[in-house]
Amino acid sequence: MNTNQRKIFYAFIIILGLAWIFLSADKSGMSTSGQIPAPQPGFLAPDFELKTITGETIKLSDLRGQAVLVNLWATWCPPCRAEMKSIEKVYNEYKDRGLVVLAVNMTYQDDPTKITPFITEQELTFPILLDETANTAKAYQLHSLPSSFFINRDGKINEVVIGGPMAEALLRTRIEAILK
Amino acid sequence: MIEIFRNLLAPPRHIILLIAAIWMGLALAEKRAEHHGVSKDQLNNITFYSLLGYVIGGRLLFALENLSAFTPSPLSIFSPNADLFDPTAALITALLVGLIYSQRQKLPLGGTLEALTPLFATLAIGLHLAHLAAGTAFGSPTTLPWGIELWNATRHPTQIYELIASLFIFGWLWFRKADFPSGALFLNFIALTAGARLFLEAFRGDSTLIFGGLRLAQIVAWIVLAVALFASERTQQQKN
Repeated sequence: MNTNQRKIFYAFIIILGLAWIFLSADKSGMSTSGQIPAPQPGFLAPDFELKTITGETIKLSDLRGQAVLVNLWATWCPPCRAEMKSIEKVYNEYKDRGLVVLAVNMTYQDDPTKITPFITEQELTFPILLDETANTAKAYQLHSLPSSFFINRDGKINEVVIGGPMAEALLRTRIEAILK
Repeated sequence: MIEIFRNLLAPPRHIILLIAAIWMGLALAEKRAEHHGVSKDQLNNITFYSLLGYVIGGRLLFALENLSAFTPSPLSIFSPNADLFDPTAALITALLVGLIYSQRQKLPLGGTLEALTPLFATLAIGLHLAHLAAGTAFGSPTTLPWGIELWNATRHPTQIYELIASLFIFGWLWFRKADFPSGALFLNFIALTAGARLFLEAFRGDSTLIFGGLRLAQIVAWIVLAVALFASERTQQQKN
């Protein structure tokens, strides 16, 4: 290919690329549908309705309008245990601004007799929900514990953190983002 | 099949795949480094210092950007959480560190980039494998028969499209017969990668949209493609 042929070829590629940008534009104006429930940033948080350790029932979709941190955990999981104090501390910093923490215990794979002593020992004040059927774990495609889902006021997942323990600074940056 | 691959490694599977890609890419780059006027030690050092810059820069700049979150618990800066990280700042730091190292060692810019190109091309393959494993960089919904079930919809397998493109790019660069002028191989890699992104971004379901539907990544890729082609032409002219 000589210089002129190459220049024409490059110009053709650039014009073709520009045309492709306009042809493939997303006319809907929203590429990730926030209406589809999936455990991934940009999607609607999968709904669940679970009983708390004190017997109340909490439905995630009823909390629309508030920022929610859903933390999936178990008592046998060391990083889950390690991050609870930080979650409690940051929850107390932000609860007045509209933060809700739902700590969903993976009861189907945990020893239920160990949950209450752990909560007492850690002095946790946020609701502890019990996933006895693994339905919430399935809906959130749980692969490892702990897994945390930061849900904004519209009910969409803003950020997912797999593994732990989460540092307080990480919790604060993610919570600030969902409180906006 | 994809589900088996995704379950093969535990999270953070994307980081494991990226580290494997760096290791393989470096091993491949070493084979041809001296041909481009860069010794194996210099290649390893520039990679090591750049990676160090990537990790430290990404964490430090994230902390600076979120100073109010770190002030009550400053020790969080040493947390093993990979999420306390700014990837853009990390990349800029890595580039700066690499540039400073190559300047101090008086390495030729074109030759150094040429020597590092196999590493970049392998890293691109690793990145798309990481996307596939983590389910990120996902496609838009489709009714095409090769669509994959992901995030509660049948979607374009964009991770696989991008993986195939990066394998082709790597193959083309590695097995090329033509003798390019210094720096042209790297520019070819940039142009091909930008071209692939420009084309394949159209099938993504997670694009950042601007100006009523234009995809930001396509605009950036188009600019990068134009600059790479222009620079490539200049390199060719200098050779002639």
